[in-house]
Amino acid sequence: MFSKHVRKELSAYCHGELAPEESRRVAEHLIGCPRCRAEFEEVKLGVKLAEQMPQIAAPDSLWTDLQSLLAAQTDQVKVAGRDRSRFGILFQPSFAVTAAAIVLAIGFGIFWLYRSEARPFWEVARIGGSPRIGSARIGDKGKLTLGQWLETDGDSRARIEVGNIGQVEIDPNTRVRLLQTSPTEHRLELARGRMSARIWAPPRLFFVDTPSGVAADLGCAYTLEVDDAGGSLLRVTSGWVALQLRDRESMVPAGAACATRVGIGPGTPYFEDASESFRAALTKLDFEAKATDSKNGALDVLLSESRVRDTLALWHLLARLDAKDRARVYDAMAALVPPPSGVTRDGVLQLNEQMLQTWKDSLEKSWSGDSALRKAWIKVWTRGLGKIRGWQGKR
Amino acid sequence: MEQRAVMEQQTVDAHVIEACRQGDREAFRLLFETYKDRVFSIAVYSLGGDRNAAGDVAQQVFLKLMTTITQFRGNAEFTTWLYRMVVNVCIDEQRRQRRFFPFGDLEPMSRVEDRRPQEKHYARLEIADSVKAAIAELKPKFRLPILLKYIEELSYEEIAQVLGCSKGTVASRLNRGHKALAKRLAHLRGQIVLGD
Repeated sequence: MFSKHVRKELSAYCHGELAPEESRRVAEHLIGCPRCRAEFEEVKLGVKLAEQMPQIAAPDSLWTDLQSLLAAQTDQVKVAGRDRSRFGILFQPSFAVTAAAIVLAIGFGIFWLYRSEARPFWEVARIGGSPRIGSARIGDKGKLTLGQWLETDGDSRARIEVGNIGQVEIDPNTRVRLLQTSPTEHRLELARGRMSARIWAPPRLFFVDTPSGVAADLGCAYTLEVDDAGGSLLRVTSGWVALQLRDRESMVPAGAACATRVGIGPGTPYFEDASESFRAALTKLDFEAKATDSKNGALDVLLSESRVRDTLALWHLLARLDAKDRARVYDAMAALVPPPSGVTRDGVLQLNEQMLQTWKDSLEKSWSGDSALRKAWIKVWTRGLGKIRGWQGKR
Repeated sequence: MEQRAVMEQQTVDAHVIEACRQGDREAFRLLFETYKDRVFSIAVYSLGGDRNAAGDVAQQVFLKLMTTITQFRGNAEFTTWLYRMVVNVCIDEQRRQRRFFPFGDLEPMSRVEDRRPQEKHYARLEIADSVKAAIAELKPKFRLPILLKYIEELSYEEIAQVLGCSKGTVASRLNRGHKALAKRLAHLRGQIVLGD
């Protein structure tokens, strides 16, 4: 009757976690020991109470949010694939030179990407007010981990160190989330508000997802603003940024801006020093005009107000307008900057990709101050990055 | 409890996990649907009822799960591996917050979905509400074994593996956790059928 007390075994006894022999010993002891029996009653009540604890259903939005994170990763692969076909025709060196340059770029890329191990978080510094990560306010510094939201109120600002490739400043009333950080991709989601990015890494390493498109950095500085309806406005201050939604893409150089709308994607890029009527006509054409008359009117204004550097907008419009309007745009462009040899009216009107690209290459001189060397560097880097991502995919 | 375990076995088996490792999105969806409520529940209870923070935690867990499932070699139970991840992310989040919110900060009980039909009775909801509040007040070292036992339905051995401690420690912490609950909610004794 005077066996060892069993107080420590009571929960295990209730849960059937004891061996049969041990369980029998506890049962026998409880019969003869009022002290352990009293404690058993207490533990049993605790067990019964804990059993009342309900499971809490996860919110339906959880899968949607997760899907957007997963989709971001899938998009990365698609974007990398598209890069090689769209921006690869900046120049055509011989095969041997290209191969050597690619080898160099890959070597440099590996050095650049792996010189420091990618960290699974970004450092955040408070510039003012009380920025929050998740539900907690940050002090002077904080860490933004994968999937977490950084949010500023009307008085707060913050700065994010994007790995070792750049900085992003977050303005008041802004909500951003870290979607991906790896040696070959850094991706933010800008749900609303305004951010300014300065990226000193090679192109196509930093992406920002918005509700109406993805901004892909091509080695640049820019601001990006998302309104409550999910539309955005991109303004580039140096380098180039590509805005994309599915197959619709706009290339935006320094000094230019581009708006996006939910369900439509990027509009036509334009230089900010273009006339007000030019910009208003472009907005109408991109996002508002449905009736033919209204469209024609907007196109009339656009063509009559165009300067040489406004061929940036006109070139983008070629593939977005119907055949009749495309012919009008071609004629206006040809009057401003005659197409280079090998580019014909018929070819452009039939949207011959090679001809469009050749014309774009010759027009770029009037759009940006990029040197041929920089263009070559972008091309070689982009190819090298594509290969590195390919290897990573196979690992 | 046993029924749930059987169902789980039928839906998420080695084939599903292998498909996830191969990058099959549908298999991952199945995995997500199977575990989402339990992962979310652990996070809600661990973070003092902060559903937003719990949502972030659950998202991080599934994202990590997807990106690291290729590292799962099957030398441990998948659930053990998963819940270790859940516990670690919750602990990281708690450390980051450096504080716990009392359940008083929670949204009203009426908005908390209850998955057990028998608990929809008003009195039961009141008890469940009190239990949640009492669990939130437990020290984390007593709370985590209770969550793993009652939400995840793990055995003592599995809880020990998840928490990286001995089976005896699990038994001892559960004992103390149960007694703390009983002490705080002694007034509910009359409403709980204890049986033998």
